[in-house]
Order: sequence, then structure tokens, then C-alpha cells
Amino acid sequence: MNQRPNEVKIESHGDIILLDIHGDVTAFSEPSLNSAYASAKESDPKKIILKFEESAYINSGGIAVLIQVLAQTRRNNQKIGITGLSDHFKKVFNMVGITKFATIYPTRQDALSAMSAVP
Amino acid sequence: MRAETTVPDDQTVELNLPSKFGYERIAIGGLAEFAKSVGFSSPRIEDLKTSVAEACINAVQHGNKGKPDARVLVAITFKENTLFISVFDEGGGFKAELKDPNIERIIDNLDPPVGFGVFLMKRLMDEVEFNRTSNHLHEVRMTMKLTG
Repeated sequence: MNQRPNEVKIESHGDIILLDIHGDVTAFSEPSLNSAYASAKESDPKKIILKFEESAYINSGGIAVLIQVLAQTRRNNQKIGITGLSDHFKKVFNMVGITKFATIYPTRQDALSAMSAVP
Repeated sequence: MRAETTVPDDQTVELNLPSKFGYERIAIGGLAEFAKSVGFSSPRIEDLKTSVAEACINAVQHGNKGKPDARVLVAITFKENTLFISVFDEGGGFKAELKDPNIERIIDNLDPPVGFGVFLMKRLMDEVEFNRTSNHLHEVRMTMKLTG
């Protein structure tokens, strides 16, 4: 069963870039997510929010892709926020340790407000 | 390909899937309905879905290793207030005793980003076992007790 490429909308909010990720997140998301991050990086943002769809299916392949993106953001000294996750995937992201490298916010607005407030 | 270890009755469901990524979605959809029908809560059903999806993905990738005509069999049974789920592949098994993935080492490119599937299964399910069946299939057997 083929997965459609993720549609990722890139939004600019002051000094924050928000990547609005549509669709499921699996190993097949690698080209879409890496391309979106590469585009976002062009404006040299210090803060990036990854927004997911609450109904998204996320598996270990997708988690591995996300971690590889986080490795890049770490090298580039970027602060990362995550929002839009279901309660289940908030739990999963915490279990695998993603929360050591990104902060999970309850809503998109919470993420934008909190990250705007920090330098 | 049949799961010898299950007894067909009205509390047992078996799914025979192509060994291709994406088909685990069919398994977890059916599993969610079955688990709901016997009384599992929504959060526990999400735990079941993730665990079985990961077991199926491992069966495709590491068990059947891309063999085009291989199959993945998912057998679900509810008895004694417990859900028993087995995922079978036709391969030689994979390293069940993988050490837990270390995200710091992965971020620093010291380890590859692998092992999250087994890691999640072990944490989300009550029990996980890795077996070889008498008809030469590799089995991941998981259980979750209905509580509350």
C-alpha cells in the first residue's frame, strides 16, 4: 500500500518557522520532511515548530526520520517545538526520548506563544 | 501459511497479509474494532495498534526480508480477559534482545536509528515473546490484559 508524499506547508511567524506536516509519518516521509527542513533552513531560523495532524499514523520508521531531522536542527542550534500530536503519540515521543530535544506543546498557539517569548 | 498455535473460534481472528509496508494499517484497523468490542479503552487500543503495527513492520523488514511472495500472519484471540496477538513471518527471526535505542547516541550519529519498534512493543504491551513455531514460522506473541 503506497503512502502519498507528505504535504508540508511552511509558515513564517516572526523568527519562527512552522512546518505544518500533513499525513502519516513513516519511513516514506523522509524525502518530504528533509525537503521541507532544507527549505525552512534557507531563512536561517533559530526556532522551528513541527506541527502534526492529530489523526496521523506515526510508526518507528517515521520516528527515525524525525530523529534525523532533530539531529540536523541540533547541529544548527535551532530550538524545536512540536504540536498537534494525539495523547498517544505525545506519550510515544516521550518514551523514545524526543522530548529531550524538543518541547511538546498542547496547541499550535501555545507553541507559537511560548517560543516567541524566548530569545 | 497458517498459525498452528491458534484455535479457530468466535474469539479468534486471523489476517493473512502481503509482506509489504502499509498493510499493517489493515491489521491495526481490524484489531482496534476487535479490542473495542471486548471492552478495551481507547488509550489501550492505541497502545495495541502501535505495538502490532511495529510487529508487522519488523516481520516485513527483518523477518521476511523483502521476499516478494512472503506473507505476514496476524492472529488475535481474546480469552480469560486477555488479548493474545501473534504476528508471524516466514523468516529466520530477528535479534529480539536488541538493546534499547539511545536517542542521544543516535542524534550524535554514534548509533543507527533502529530498535524503536521492539522498544515500543515491550513498553506498551503487558508481555512480548519471540518464538519459533513448529511449522517454521517466526512468531512475535504479545498480550494485554483487560483491566478496569
